[in-house]
Amino acid sequence: MRKRKIRQALSLISLNTVFLALCFITLVPVLYAFLLSVSDGSSAFAGGVGPRSFTLENYRRIITEEPFLLWLKNSVVLSLGTMVLAMGFATTASYAFSRYRFKGRMKILFLLVLLNAFPQILSMFAIFRLFKTFGLLDSNAGLMIVYAGSMCIFSIWNLKGYFDTIPMEIEEASKIDGASDFTMLVKIVLPLARPAIIVTGVMVLIFVWNEYLFATTFLLNGDKYTLAGGLYQLQANDYSRSWSLFTAAAVLVSIPILIIFFCIQKYMVSGLTAGGVKG
Amino acid sequence: MKNRKKATPWLYTLPAFLLIGIVIVFPILYTAYISLTNMNLYHWNDFHLIGLENYKRALLKADSGFLSAIGTTILWTAVNMGVQLFLAYFIALGLNAEGLKLKRVYKTLLMFPWAMPAYVSILLWKVCMFNSEFGLLNKVVTALGGTKLNYLSENVPAFLACTVLNLWMALPFMIMMIDGALQSIDASLYESAMMEGAGFWQKSIFITLPCIRPIIAPSAIMTAFTTFKQFDIIYLLTKQKGSLTGASIQTIITYAHENAFVSNNYGLSSAVSILIFGIIILFSVFTNRGLKEENS
Repeated sequence: MRKRKIRQALSLISLNTVFLALCFITLVPVLYAFLLSVSDGSSAFAGGVGPRSFTLENYRRIITEEPFLLWLKNSVVLSLGTMVLAMGFATTASYAFSRYRFKGRMKILFLLVLLNAFPQILSMFAIFRLFKTFGLLDSNAGLMIVYAGSMCIFSIWNLKGYFDTIPMEIEEASKIDGASDFTMLVKIVLPLARPAIIVTGVMVLIFVWNEYLFATTFLLNGDKYTLAGGLYQLQANDYSRSWSLFTAAAVLVSIPILIIFFCIQKYMVSGLTAGGVKG
Repeated sequence: MKNRKKATPWLYTLPAFLLIGIVIVFPILYTAYISLTNMNLYHWNDFHLIGLENYKRALLKADSGFLSAIGTTILWTAVNMGVQLFLAYFIALGLNAEGLKLKRVYKTLLMFPWAMPAYVSILLWKVCMFNSEFGLLNKVVTALGGTKLNYLSENVPAFLACTVLNLWMALPFMIMMIDGALQSIDASLYESAMMEGAGFWQKSIFITLPCIRPIIAPSAIMTAFTTFKQFDIIYLLTKQKGSLTGASIQTIITYAHENAFVSNNYGLSSAVSILIFGIIILFSVFTNRGLKEENS
């Protein structure tokens, strides 16, 4: 009996060691980037692996010397605009899909899943050409439309799943009280679905915040750059000077997303699986 | 009154349909149209229909590079999915070991790569890890007395580098999924297996794997699609505009992108895009049927 206990303790110790090592390996790139961001720019990329003097110089420079705040503003405008657009359109549509039985409903829902499987990169050239013709390149409105469109299907499915769980009886009761369809939606259904709407909205927000390909292809003008475009530019410069700025910017860009992620983590899993084939 | 009632759902869905029509459906149709023309840099405006020439070029001419890109994509998906499922399974098993008190801490730390913005992670890895002059990997190598390696300049090392990065980014989701599935297994199954003297491998093969298979199948398939469509890692690590690293790994997605935005073969790129869409549709219909049969 005692022997078994010792064996169990030993295996727990080794398991803990393995997990500590695993966590360390997982975090090394992030920790190292953070270390670079708080160390002296000239020495950071030159010397050995060991620790260096601590400085916030890179953060000061990225905020004062680079147009970081402008990028931030552009990213915020773009993601909030997209969220309002996508959620506005998706909420009413998903409500209709959940509550009304109309002709072709199932077919359309299935078609939406298929369309969602189409990788947007593949039609990027077609969109690029269209936007060029209509003068929508280099405009926030153009990008918002693209982003809202690409998150619309995901949002519809996600919200529909939640609307389906709200019992019809609540609405029927208010219908008897004489409420019209639309007031019912706004006054009764939306408040009930608030958690789902918030989570879906936040996911749209994160998607736009993390998108770089369309942002770097469609926004050609420096003062339209989003954070993604700016960071991309910093890292593409082949000077190690801007690389330490880049690590500082990377830390600043990631922190809000990390916070949001760990707040809504448990919804992320269900949302992702409910959304089906979303890439 | 009745007609109005009938129109209501359409009224509610119309704005969304319009948006999806403009951003998703129309560009796909337009891509299909371009795929039938000879549009390229020299024929930006005066292109004309050339039938299925582009498809022929992609599928029948070996030097177009599409067929080898298909091979690379299949290899990429298979390697990544295999290693990912294998590692995630054992990590999740470890997390569920009896008496592991720090489980929540480990889980939170292991989720980190998932939470990071993907492009930030990839660029950080490129600049801070793989860079041959300043990267951490080479610093460790030189500190140990080795010579500096160039991770991204040739195909095989670059493929491995991309795989490592993809595993780093994708494992958290898989671990979470398998971890959740493991917790749904009835503990009494293990007890009776213990009574009969089953070892670790026997328990894995006869109890754990069959139990979690149906639960993780949807997320595994979803991840397989994501891996198949993976573009960002290969593009940002090796193919950035103006800073090619020398490796020429080409999956079908990077192939389509390169032909559209670098070598300006818009017709060929569009034909390839439509082919990829076809493959994805076939796959999803096929896997949907498989999932349904498994569940019923």
